[in-house]
Order: sequence, then structure tokens, then C-alpha cells
Amino acid sequence: MSGLRFAAWRVVLGLITLWLLSVIVFAAARVLPGDVGRAILGPLADARAVAALDHALGADRGALASYIEWSRGLLQGDFGVSYAYRTPVAPLVAVALGRSLRLACLILAVAVPPALAAGLTAAHFAGGRIDRLLTLGGLALTVVPEFVTAILAMLVFGIALRWLPISAEPPPGAGAGTWLRHLILPALPGAVALFGYLARTLREASLAALQSDYLRAAILKGLAWPAILVRHLLPNVLPLLLTVLAAQLSYLLGGLVVVETLFRYPGIGLLILSAGRAHDFPLLQASVLVLGAFVVAASLAADLAVRWLTPRAA
Amino acid sequence: MLRGAAALPLAAAPERPLRIACDMPVGRIDPLTVSQTSGLLMLAQTGEFLLRVAPDGSLRPMLAVHWESNEDATLWRFRLRPGVRFHDGTVLNAGDVVATMDRLSDPAQASNALSVFRSVLSPGGTRAAGPLAVEFRLDAPDGHFPYAVSSDNYNAIILPAGRAGDWEADFIGTGPFRLAHYTPTLGARFERNPDWWGGAVRPAATEFLFFADQQPQILALLGDEADIVAQFVVSGARGLLDDPACHVIRLPSAAHRQIHMRTDRPPFADARVRRAVALSLDRPAILSGLLYGQGVLGNDSPCAPIYPETDLAVPQRAANPGAARRLLAEAGQAGGIAATLVTERLQEIPDLAVIVQQACAAIGIALEIRVEDPALYYGTAQRGSSDWLDSDFGITDYGHRAVPDVLLQAGFASNGAWNAAHFRDPRCDSLIAAYRAARTAAARRAASRAIQELLLAQTPVIIPYFFDFLVATRRDVTGVSASAIGQLFLAGAGRSAA
Repeated sequence: MSGLRFAAWRVVLGLITLWLLSVIVFAAARVLPGDVGRAILGPLADARAVAALDHALGADRGALASYIEWSRGLLQGDFGVSYAYRTPVAPLVAVALGRSLRLACLILAVAVPPALAAGLTAAHFAGGRIDRLLTLGGLALTVVPEFVTAILAMLVFGIALRWLPISAEPPPGAGAGTWLRHLILPALPGAVALFGYLARTLREASLAALQSDYLRAAILKGLAWPAILVRHLLPNVLPLLLTVLAAQLSYLLGGLVVVETLFRYPGIGLLILSAGRAHDFPLLQASVLVLGAFVVAASLAADLAVRWLTPRAA
Repeated sequence: MLRGAAALPLAAAPERPLRIACDMPVGRIDPLTVSQTSGLLMLAQTGEFLLRVAPDGSLRPMLAVHWESNEDATLWRFRLRPGVRFHDGTVLNAGDVVATMDRLSDPAQASNALSVFRSVLSPGGTRAAGPLAVEFRLDAPDGHFPYAVSSDNYNAIILPAGRAGDWEADFIGTGPFRLAHYTPTLGARFERNPDWWGGAVRPAATEFLFFADQQPQILALLGDEADIVAQFVVSGARGLLDDPACHVIRLPSAAHRQIHMRTDRPPFADARVRRAVALSLDRPAILSGLLYGQGVLGNDSPCAPIYPETDLAVPQRAANPGAARRLLAEAGQAGGIAATLVTERLQEIPDLAVIVQQACAAIGIALEIRVEDPALYYGTAQRGSSDWLDSDFGITDYGHRAVPDVLLQAGFASNGAWNAAHFRDPRCDSLIAAYRAARTAAARRAASRAIQELLLAQTPVIIPYFFDFLVATRRDVTGVSASAIGQLFLAGAGRSAA
């Protein structure tokens, strides 16, 4: 299959995935107990007020009619109006996604280089003390829940030492330096968890490559380690790294709700959670769909990159 | 030369705004629909009420300076404060009050104040009796009506007559602060209103920081990234009570957990069984263990000790497992009872459910606990489709009210919308009506005592405790005034000199 046909086929599959996702989210939102009017007005609100609000928001229409109208709007580029915020959904999602993307990029920047180095080093010294240290250390970091790392980081660096702010959102008009300073602590829990996972995965991939016939032959011929690393090992490991990172994108963008909560950083994960609690169907649907689109696009990009890096896989 | 340079006037450093950590309002801030504590906190920054409830529960003038009623408390007249201006410069008049109250009392308007105004005030019941005079013609006598237009009815901030919807654009009001900017999910900044009728406003600006959970608010306070935590619950923040860097403001309140038992069907149809359950609970131990003492004991009626009309001479119910077992035997239930306790996942309520389960087990009642998401528990809040209103045995969260009228009417009147116990007692209905219509404190106290005694005898609900409303500030912050429903009044707040 040519690269172009492969890409086109994956785009079609991606669109089908997103459509199925929208149907699932829609159905899930409909089976949630309670309704939007009561979620906004509170559990003890007068039933007449709840009915009036549901009607005003259009939340009392039939499920199918709502879905069709929402789909029609989406095809015209309109994500609809949030029930809870009563403003267009698109800017709310864009702002939250922007925050999550910034945090995800910083986590990748912090976690990937050391994880790559640790994985390669552990493989190089496989079975030795350094390998055991890195492997066990990576495993330990993977299993520490984010909220533990986050609270520890806040207590130590934010409250005891006062080195870093514990609120992720910088003041309005802040420069890049301030912005970065505010995001360091929030990036830490995700980076720690990702480092442990990546390091162990890359160690296994590197070890497998190092034990392959052609690399053993290269080593026996006396090829220098830097040359082995650059010419043989990295080209073997990078495709796996890209695939793993693409798979981790949904976690990095939408799975850091605890981090977003603790560091006052309302990203897309927190937006999805609050939209679900508020029965805000248009906001929930748009948030999940946009997040899904990012994950599908990242997966496609990773697959294309892997095909390019490893032509034999084409 | 150096001395001369030092003598040059230095530019004054801008005063740091007072930073308040609070829950994130989910959804639009709209005076008509607000129900979350975080939302009503926002309303009270720029908006004002006709009257304000003081910490001792009494009413103080705010936008109204005088109020009186006719003989049977069906007609109330309010005189407005002259010279009050909205933030856009327009002068407050009676038409603004009429428009505000008509909107809030209109069932077609999705008003959250309807639960307060139900059977009390209808659209058209409010009319201008002069440029600065307003009359309320009520649907039924109500001696406590001024509370319905006070800060206790948190939706009732007075808005300009032509204003409806999109309040979030400018947070218009008459209050001591004006909106500088508001970013949904993140925070809001308010600046001093130099034209406020109340005089000088102490802080130049206030900054509200929204959080999705309590724990990070506490950490922000400890990390000096917030000066005030607008509200915290003691479970999970016990350390704040003894932290020398912080000051905790304790406001006694009528907020409570209500344990209802269905009075209309077995196994709790017999009042002796309900009394037995109530006698199984060791309330002082519950108050101490669950709330670290931050509250007072409940006596199985919503007539909380903070209400001046509550008769504190009514004997406090105390644990007595022996008497409880005897009551069960008298009711023919010596062999034991099995039931399901349904409740919502909120703060300490699941822990309270376990305590109730253990206490009941000690007297031979086997309880299975079902803890639900609040949305599932309340359902549609209509009988037949709400675990809250349909369950035999449940625990429900009730917030603070400055007067118990709504709690009594909705919770215990035969037609009450929140009557989860399905309690029907004509004498109770007439006592509640008498309480609400009473114009003198003595009449109200007499009705209150009768209600307290009747509810103790019948025990449709158990109220083990009323918990305090807690606000935390950094030690150097002074002048913070709060209400037990969640408002902060910050016109006099600031940091004291070191």
C-alpha cells in the first residue's frame, strides 16, 4: 500500500472512530442520572424552575433530535452552546486544550530525553547494577500515583522551600520565563510517571536490538559504541518511542485531572469531568471529540513516521 | 547628594490584592440561577440585597433602610436607601426592586429563588409605592418575609430594571467592588468602588482564585498564594484548626445532615421504631469524631440552636441503647429489622452512614448501606424517581438558612416538596403555618417549642448535629465578614501591619 493510500485509509478509519466516539459519549451522557436544569439549579430547586431552565436550554428535547441537530452544527463547524456556561463551546474547549497541550509539551520535554538515555544505558549495562537501579527505579516511579508526587512536590518546593509557585496559571501578561516557572511543578508528576514507563520500555527495545544478529556482529567487529548507538540502536528504538508517545497522548492531554485539580490548571481533562457532572452535553461532546481527534491524528502521524523510519514496515 | 536622592519621593508600591481561594463555579454566574456556594460568593462581591443577615441572625439595613408589615404580615413595606448608584452610574429606585423580585418569583423564569418564594410571593406581588418605596403583597402571611429579600436568599441581589441575562459580562450591582475581569474556571478580579454608599472600601482589589477541590486551596493558603479560603470542611483540613499561621473563622450555622425514615410504610411506620433508631446514636461522639467538635448537637428538628426562637429548654435526646431495644420490643420488632440506608457521596456523609449502621446493629437493626453519586441520589427530586424521596432510610445534606421557615414547610408539611419521610401530621401543618405567620418573637417561640416536641415524639428525621461554617485566613488578615451560607463581605478586609 502506498504511503498516500495508507494515510487516506487511516483518515477514513479515524473519522469512523470519531463518529463512534460521539455516539458513545452521547449515549453515555443520556444515561447519566439527573438532568442539566437540576445540575445547575441544585438538587433542592423548585421543579417549575428546573423545567423552565431545561426548556430554555433545549435540554428537554428528544435524544435523537438533539443528536441530529448537534451533528448538523458540527458539520458546519459549530460545536454548539454550553448548557452550563451558556456561551459557544469552541472557545471553552480551545482554551482548556491549549493549557493541556502546553503542559503535555513540557512533560515530554522533561521526560523523554532522560528516559531515552536511561533506557539505552540500562540496556548497555544489562544485568549490571546500573541496569537494576534504572529498571527498579523506573518501575517505582511508574507506580507512584500522580497525586502523591504532586502533593510531595507542592509541599517541598512550593511550601517548605518556596522555590516554585504551586499555582500553574501565571498572572495575566506574564512572560515565557514566568510561564515556565509556574508549569514546572505541575509537569513533574506526569514527567516522573512517563519517565519510568518510557525508560523501561526503551530498555527492553534496546536490549532486543542489541541481541539481534546484525548488531552482535557489529559489536564483535569492534564498532565503537557511539556509532552503534547512532547508526543502529536509535533507528531501531525511535519508531517504538514514537508509537508509545502517540499512545500516551490521551493520558497526557486528558488524563491529568488530578494534576489539573491540584495545581489550579483547568485543562481539557478537568473540563470533561465538570461537563459530565453538570450534564453539559454540548461541552462534554465537543471536549471528548476534540481530544479524540488529537489522539487519532497523533496516532496517524506516528504510524506515518514509523513507515518513513522503517521502510520495510511499509 | 545621597541624602538628596534618598529624599526623592518613591513611587508607592501597588497594594497586593487580597487573594481568596474558593471553589470553581461550574457554569454561568447568573443571579437568577446560581445555586453553588462559589456562585453566590461571586454575586455578593458586586451585588447587594435589600437587607443583610448579621452573624447573630438579625437583619441589618443594606439597600433598604426601613421595613414594616401590616397586622397579619401579608403586606410588607420597604423604604430604600437614597442616593445609591449602580456601577454604571444609574440611581437605584423602586422600579429596580420590582423588576428584580418579579423576575425571581416568576415560575417561567427558571429562578432558583422559587423555593423561597413558593406560596409566599408571586409575580405582580411587588409594586413601587414611590420612587424609594416598595410594597410586597404576599400570597400567605409570613412574619419572616424580610429574610426572603435579604442576603439569606442569595439570588436576590438587586439589579437595574432593564437588566436580564448576561450579568456575567459586567457583574453590575451597587456593591463595594466592581468587576475588573472574570475568567470562567480560573478566577475573577474586583476593584474598589469609590462611589459606594457605604463609605471607604479597605482593599484596593480582591482576586478570587478558583479551585476544583479543597485540598489545593488549603495548600495555596499555607504556601502564601492565597490570603483567605472562602470555605472549608473540617474533614481533610483538621490541621488548619491548630495552624499558628492561620486564623479560622467559625460561624455557627443551621447546616445539617438529615436522616429520614419513611413514616408511611414498614419498617419505620411505627414511631417507636424511629425513636429507637434515634436513641441508638451517641451524638457527642459523632460530633467529636466526624467534625472535631466544629458544630453543635442536633435534637431531631431543623430548629437549630442558632435560631433565637428555638426553645433550648426542650430536653436534648441522648444515646440510650437499652431504651431503644425496649421500644423495638414494644413495637413487635424484637426479632430485628433489616433495611437499606441510601445516601449521597458528599463530605463526611458516607462515614456518618457507617456510624449509623454500627449503632443500629447494636440494637438489632441490620442496615445495608448504598452510597450514590448526588445526581443519582436526588434524581428528578420528584417522588417516584428520586432515591432521596423514595428510600425508606436515607441521609441528606441541608445547607444553612437564617430562618427555618423553608426547612419546616418543605421538609415537614404534608405537601412539602422535600418531605422525604412522607410525614403527614395535620397538627404539624398547622404549627408550621402558625410559626410562619407569627409576628412576635413570643408567638414564634411558642410555635417552635411545639414543633420541636412534636418532631421529637414522632421522629420522622434524625438530625445528629448542626455543623459550623468555616473560613480560614492567614493570620495577618483582618476584617473578613462571612455568612454561613457562603458569602464573604470584604469591604472592611485587609492585611494588618506586621
